[in-house]
Amino acid sequence: MEEGILTTLKILIIGESGVGKSSLLLRFTDDTFDPDQTATIGVDFKVKTISVEGNKAKLAIWDTAGQERFRTLTPSYYRGAQGVILVYDVTQRDTFTKLDNWLNELETYCTRNDLVKMLVGNKIDKENHELDRNEGLKFARKHSMLFIEASAKTRDGVQCAFEELVEKIIQSPGLWQSEGHGRVHLTDEDAGGGSCGGYCSLV
Amino acid sequence: MAADSDPETEVFEITDFTTASEWERFVSRVEEVLNDWKLIGSSAGRASPEKGEYTSGTWEEKSQEINFADFKFSITHHYLKQESDKSDLKEELEEDAFPLAMQDLLCMNNDFPPRAHCLVRWYGMREFLVISPGANCEAITSESKCNLLLSSVSISLANSGCQVPMFVQIQQKWRRLYAGECQGPGVRTDFEMVHLRKVPSQYNHLSGLLDIFKAKIGCSLTPLPPVTIAIRFTYVLQDWQQYSWPQQPPDFDALLGGEVGGVEFGKLPFGACEDPISELHLATTWPHLTEGIVVDNDVYSDLDPLQAPHWSVRVRKAENPQCLLGDFLNEFFKLCCRKESTEEILGRGLTEEEGKENTDLSAALSKLTEPAAAPMSKLSVSSMVHSARKHIRRHRRVDESPLSNDVLNSILLYLFPDAAVERSSTGTSDASDGRPAPPPSTGGRSEPDKDSDYNLFNQLKSAPSDSLTYRLALCVCLVNFYHGGVRALAHLWQEFVLEMRFRWENNHLVYGLASGAPDLRCCLLHQKLQMLNCCIERKRARDESRKASDGGKERERQLPGGGENGRRSRRASPGKSWDSWSDSEDEFFECLSDQEEAAAAKEGEAEKGGAGRAKPPDGRLHPHGTMTLLNPSTEPLYIPVTQEPAPMTEDLLEEHSEVLAKLGTTAEGAHLRARMQSACLLSDMESFKAANPGCSLEDFVRWYSPRDYVEEEVVDEAGAPVLRGELSARMKIPGNMWAEAWDTARSVPARRQKRLFDDTKEAEKVLHYLSVQKPADLTRHLLPCILHAAVLKLKEEESLEDIPSVKKAVQQATSHASKQLRHPNPDHKKLEEVISQLVAVETVIARARSLKAKFGVGKAEAGEDSEDLEKFVSSLLEEPEVAVLGAGRGPAGSIIHKLFVSSQRAALLAPMDDDLVRPGGGADDRKPMGGGLNVPDFPPPAGREILLRTCVPRPAPYSKALPQRLFCVLLREDFRLAGALSSDTSFF
Repeated sequence: MEEGILTTLKILIIGESGVGKSSLLLRFTDDTFDPDQTATIGVDFKVKTISVEGNKAKLAIWDTAGQERFRTLTPSYYRGAQGVILVYDVTQRDTFTKLDNWLNELETYCTRNDLVKMLVGNKIDKENHELDRNEGLKFARKHSMLFIEASAKTRDGVQCAFEELVEKIIQSPGLWQSEGHGRVHLTDEDAGGGSCGGYCSLV
Repeated sequence: MAADSDPETEVFEITDFTTASEWERFVSRVEEVLNDWKLIGSSAGRASPEKGEYTSGTWEEKSQEINFADFKFSITHHYLKQESDKSDLKEELEEDAFPLAMQDLLCMNNDFPPRAHCLVRWYGMREFLVISPGANCEAITSESKCNLLLSSVSISLANSGCQVPMFVQIQQKWRRLYAGECQGPGVRTDFEMVHLRKVPSQYNHLSGLLDIFKAKIGCSLTPLPPVTIAIRFTYVLQDWQQYSWPQQPPDFDALLGGEVGGVEFGKLPFGACEDPISELHLATTWPHLTEGIVVDNDVYSDLDPLQAPHWSVRVRKAENPQCLLGDFLNEFFKLCCRKESTEEILGRGLTEEEGKENTDLSAALSKLTEPAAAPMSKLSVSSMVHSARKHIRRHRRVDESPLSNDVLNSILLYLFPDAAVERSSTGTSDASDGRPAPPPSTGGRSEPDKDSDYNLFNQLKSAPSDSLTYRLALCVCLVNFYHGGVRALAHLWQEFVLEMRFRWENNHLVYGLASGAPDLRCCLLHQKLQMLNCCIERKRARDESRKASDGGKERERQLPGGGENGRRSRRASPGKSWDSWSDSEDEFFECLSDQEEAAAAKEGEAEKGGAGRAKPPDGRLHPHGTMTLLNPSTEPLYIPVTQEPAPMTEDLLEEHSEVLAKLGTTAEGAHLRARMQSACLLSDMESFKAANPGCSLEDFVRWYSPRDYVEEEVVDEAGAPVLRGELSARMKIPGNMWAEAWDTARSVPARRQKRLFDDTKEAEKVLHYLSVQKPADLTRHLLPCILHAAVLKLKEEESLEDIPSVKKAVQQATSHASKQLRHPNPDHKKLEEVISQLVAVETVIARARSLKAKFGVGKAEAGEDSEDLEKFVSSLLEEPEVAVLGAGRGPAGSIIHKLFVSSQRAALLAPMDDDLVRPGGGADDRKPMGGGLNVPDFPPPAGREILLRTCVPRPAPYSKALPQRLFCVLLREDFRLAGALSSDTSFF
């Protein structure tokens, strides 16, 4: 199982309580939906191996509790994450308006600055939408995130969201980056070893 | 020759290449390469190059290996990359135009280019080919081999019609001896060269060289068309005299003498110890002379450098000048590879004595903590520690400790300035702190100005520049360099760890660290120190409230749940004995007596029953808005005082998440994981119950997870709308962990709960961690801080000089460092690279300083001159060669003149007073060659270059007039004539 795995990626799921973070994760990892999903305490953890464009990646996904009180605890686990999924509930406007807080939280506690962010509007199966797709799109564009609407219950968009995120992480240079884009050379003398430098007339 | 015949026209003739010789094959290979590189055909038609284009443009080269039998050659194409090939110009029509190279022979726009291939300098071409022996092959020394190669060149050029000149490198590489040929329609140029060790006396001047040029041309026309001459003399200045390198290495012994003492420890040294500019080369050029205008022979010369119409200057930089900052960084970095532990370095004896010091310190400690003693606020902690230390030092022979007392004391003072502060006000409530207000900017994010500099610690994962960790790094670096190397470093570290223990044991916060949980953006050592501070803070709060309650227990009884008291007792509670906090793992915020506990338990049961008398509320923080409990009592809902979660350093966190991850992804694992983390939830529930007697889970959820309380507007019997609420579905699931926890939670205020964070244990863990760090570990911990400091230092120094390339280089080094340091295990090699990048920047700044000092930039009064001078100096740094405005008469020129004069005097005469040095100027009529009584202003030129050009018919008077050129180089031990002689091949 372990063989052929290109990399292990740490992914976070954050957002207000009750927006369906754990349900999204369960849908993705086990392809099930549990209406009796209890409220997460602290952080939870799941693993799934997926292959994107022929590359196998092992995802270690950290699911967090959304309650305010847990927020003194959970950000410690943000460390080293390469991707994050911000979830809001399309039927609850305040879960959307609080996204700014979550971004601040990320800014403060994430150690990488090349973190890939994805915004997910969950529960689109429900009737009483308070937010339309455009608002999510606008927010995502403003903060350079990926965006998708999804439903953990009907499985709409869930698989796609995770795959897209992983693909983006693998493409982003920070992960594979090696050295060497245009450096200034302070010592430019005798740059061309073979030809003679500036002193050719005077040894 | 077989290769010559064309198989297509001679249909019936069999062409046989089976017997082709190696030589024929070589020729055809050369032709192939010319074909591949598309160098076939007329090269004429391009405009002559712009003035200075050879320097400003980019030169490119292309190489290929080519064999002659088994002998390897490489053929290289050098060419100036030109923006647009203006091949559609008028000359296109002229079929028999000269090849480009021949036109370039006469072009005067790019004589003496500052940086170019030597063939470009000698022959003025913008494009050429060179065949030279391969890397490990011997040189072509025999004449016959040389001729063989030249004829191959000749044949392949003729066969392919290539007009690019082609050269063969002969003799040893260092002699740079080339022979070559260029062919055009009916014309040919031969490139020949003479290279001698000594300058023959008859050719040691212009007239002799003119003779040889004319003889080579061998033209019988009379009168001969005039020869145009360009001359450049180069003078070298090595002795800078009073303009010598201004920087003295700082005197570190004096450092400790002054009152400022340890303050100096906060600085990194900077600058070069030797002059980073070793030589100045002045080139005086006469770009356009005609034969007969100047006289230069073996007895007389008109060529006075002061009169030269054009001056240009280049500087030679010292290869790797010793630079202070660089030395510091490198020495520090070397420590990373040491293996020894502190004991091994210091020797057993010393560590044992440290042990003794420990007991002495604890004596000081017990004196401090003795309850009967005078109030702590009246004792100066620092004096206590210091007296304890003095006491120890009497026992220890001074010469045994690697770090002298003076140095150690000033370091400690620098690191812990709070210990020196004698507090005058003893009445303030936090006087027992032992710490003045923390440095203003330790908080970090709140400061917008100098943001990028300040946030550098985040990029480099070091520590804020005003933190203890950062200062420690500077001290360690300095101690390593100046005060005894790795032994002294080990000694300092030991003292530091002792100080940390002292502070923990005596409830003194460690000075110079941002408060709050460890900042994960900083280096691990910094986090550890912050962790220690967290422990001290909690312990102190506990002890304080304990002390307070000793006096105020009655009062507290009378005013149960007094609002103002809430805040103060937030994280701690009174205790009965001073010792109760130590050592026990199963510790409670307050040890309840059995009796009390039993009572509390009973109350809890009563509460669970739902009815019964309510226990008096305890541990309230403040009301939760206007919310009231859901039971009919309409009592306001209070947010309880809660326990803070445990702070964690990144290594602890790593451990913790590993444990959580190891539980796996099964349902049981998830359940276990939730249970492990529910301690905090349970503690909060208990606090909530204590603060809100008679509350329900619904109440708790409304505070803790408001979205799990669903409110709905319904219409009651009377027709009025009312809100009705209930728990969310997931909270109502029977047996869910929240409900389960709620049921098990008793009504206990935070201060009586079991501690979620065992500060005693955590502090000991930190102290142990610190004490086992070897010097090499310490260096690795502190490396980010040192690099951070070095970057700041470079930025500071650069801002004084304003060198654009340095700004960019610093940025690059920073981002390179950032990439390395954020990695959990930075690569040694790559870090070394970062350091050398930083050192390179230092060197550039030092060079700029040296030049500015030499040319008096910044000293002179402001004006146009000084501005020009400044520009001149800064371009000296960035450009290979800089023209001197106004030649010998301009402001820079007169300074250069003076430099030479004083260096000449020093070299040739006894030292004389400075005021005798005559200011140089245009009126100066002394001849450098004049000798006589006066010392010449300039030394004999180190190099002379003379370029002769003309356009005459060759070989016969009735041939076409063709470009002829001879470039002569006369050095002390090198004489070279490079001739390009063209001839008309039409009738020969």
